Amino acid sequence: MDTIIELKNITYVYGSGTPFQMTALDDVSVKIKAGFITGLIGHTGSGKSTLVQMLNGLLRPHAGQVLLHNKDIWENPKEISSIRFKVGLVMQYPEYQLFDETVGKDIAFGPKNMKLSDEEIARRVEEAASFVGIDKALLDKSPFDLSGGQKRRVAIAGIIAMRPDVLVLDEPAAGLDPRGRKEILGRVRQYQRDTGAAVIIVSHSMEDMAKYCDEIIVMNRARIFAQGSCAEIFARAEELVAVGLDVPQIAYIAQALRRGGCELEGDIYTVEGALSALVSLFEKKGIPRKTANNA
Amino acid sequence: MLKDITLGQFFPGESYIHRLDPRTKIILTVFYIIITFSAKSIFSFAALFLSVVMIIGISKISFKTIIRGIRPVLYIMIFTMILNIFLTNGEDLLFHWKFIKIYKEGIITALLVLVRIIVLITGTSVFITYTTSPIQLTDGIERLFSPLKRIGVPVHDLAMMMSLALRFIPTLIEETDRIMNAQKARGADFSTGSLASRVRALIPIIIPLFVSAYRRAEELAVAMECRCYRGGEGRTRMKILTYGLNDFFAIFIFLLFLAAIILINIYAPGFKL
Ligand SMILES: Nc1ncnc2c1ncn2[C@@H]1O[C@H](COP(=O)(O)OP(=O)(O)O)[C@@H](O)[C@H]1O
Ligand SMILES: [Mg+2]
Repeated sequence: MDTIIELKNITYVYGSGTPFQMTALDDVSVKIKAGFITGLIGHTGSGKSTLVQMLNGLLRPHAGQVLLHNKDIWENPKEISSIRFKVGLVMQYPEYQLFDETVGKDIAFGPKNMKLSDEEIARRVEEAASFVGIDKALLDKSPFDLSGGQKRRVAIAGIIAMRPDVLVLDEPAAGLDPRGRKEILGRVRQYQRDTGAAVIIVSHSMEDMAKYCDEIIVMNRARIFAQGSCAEIFARAEELVAVGLDVPQIAYIAQALRRGGCELEGDIYTVEGALSALVSLFEKKGIPRKTANNA
Repeated sequence: MLKDITLGQFFPGESYIHRLDPRTKIILTVFYIIITFSAKSIFSFAALFLSVVMIIGISKISFKTIIRGIRPVLYIMIFTMILNIFLTNGEDLLFHWKFIKIYKEGIITALLVLVRIIVLITGTSVFITYTTSPIQLTDGIERLFSPLKRIGVPVHDLAMMMSLALRFIPTLIEETDRIMNAQKARGADFSTGSLASRVRALIPIIIPLFVSAYRRAEELAVAMECRCYRGGEGRTRMKILTYGLNDFFAIFIFLLFLAAIILINIYAPGFKL
């Protein structure tokens, strides 16, 4: 797979020279693959938000380089806003950035800043709204009249409407109920599958990551702790627990079953995966399907 | 970033000055301003400068921070220096070109005024902003002005409003930073274009900022009512301010200092401002 964004030896320090000095990124190097959903995971304060703000040039690294398509994004600092159209960042709690009179106008803010034609803007607004599941009728409403989950989807549409090469979402599901989480993350995955864009999702929920991501990067204390496929990452359960993270509960159950002598096949870290492994185990042992389903 | 402004920046610490009662620090600040303005002779200015260096040393605030605090008034300082250099008349003519005359007195005056401004800003910010947390400060103000309650001034409410306002300044600055970043991520541009277009570019910041400020205010009001806040009447405090020996000592030193400055003015005038 091609690398779309690469961070090379990035260091970033907040409040340098004050008593509140805080190294948020410490010599971080990482490659993000194109055409994949990459999950960025780590406990609170590990530097995830700082890292994603590097990707679109909202923060300028104190050391190191950010390469987009193998070009340093800070080569020409005056052009940095064009990078922001290529790397679309949905910040944490994006619902608080809505400001315009109508939902449609708010989604159009990004495309308008790109100086697109009116027809193109209208087309993109409609497309982005349908990607996130915002009804056409809502486009003429005030964004302040929407529910929390709807507001957040509108904010995500505002970024999608810029058609970025890379879509970055900082904790898109934080503070939502399970149904809202599923809706948003499902829509994001559908968007990725439809457009083939690279997507980066920041989260601290292992369950969500296991379900929606192709590749996982684990951060710990301003550094990259591990990077790999879900199977590779969740195989290192003990190490993850040691740095204050969790593995999906189903992975624990699978582990316990194996220890109890149950020969489950494959890597299990989602409920669906566990079900199919159990079914195939039952079939192998010749237990009738009906009993298996009841089990 | 907006957060880099040191305005109202408190640096936690354990120095002698940090441990003084906030009321003492307010009183000392007032004294210090009086002392700064009573200094007249060149020797008292030297003493003044020495005192500010000592105060900084005792407070253990880094010189870098102090310099950063002075930087915003740099232009005012340069401007007053230029005015003093060119507009002061005296006897000792150093330079003359057409109508421009520079006297030795002008240069000395400019330097003394410079010292006065630096001492004033540094002294007050060390006592009030760098070493006193906003909570302590409002507590101090409330206690210091509590006699005014008798003539109907709502001292407690004013102090509470002030402490809430102070408490929310960093929050609002942070929020502004966040909203600006969010809009920048959508390609908003705040630094180029005509004045009108820059003002228009502020709308996507101001509206979300107001919405969230109102939301915060409402949440705060509810939270305060949930904890039965009913104003200052009968309210007790967790930290009761008490004067200690340290406080009396500090005030005593400052009284001595004031007396010394006045004596120097009278008996060792040297160059007088
Ligand atoms: N604007 C800021 N000013 C100072 N420190 C900050 C700022 N933003 C984040 N930090 C600090 O940097 C560290 C990393 O923060 P962040 O990147 O937000 O972590 P995460 O998103 O993983 O929770 C934290 O310790 C946080 O306190
Ligand atoms: Mg974060």
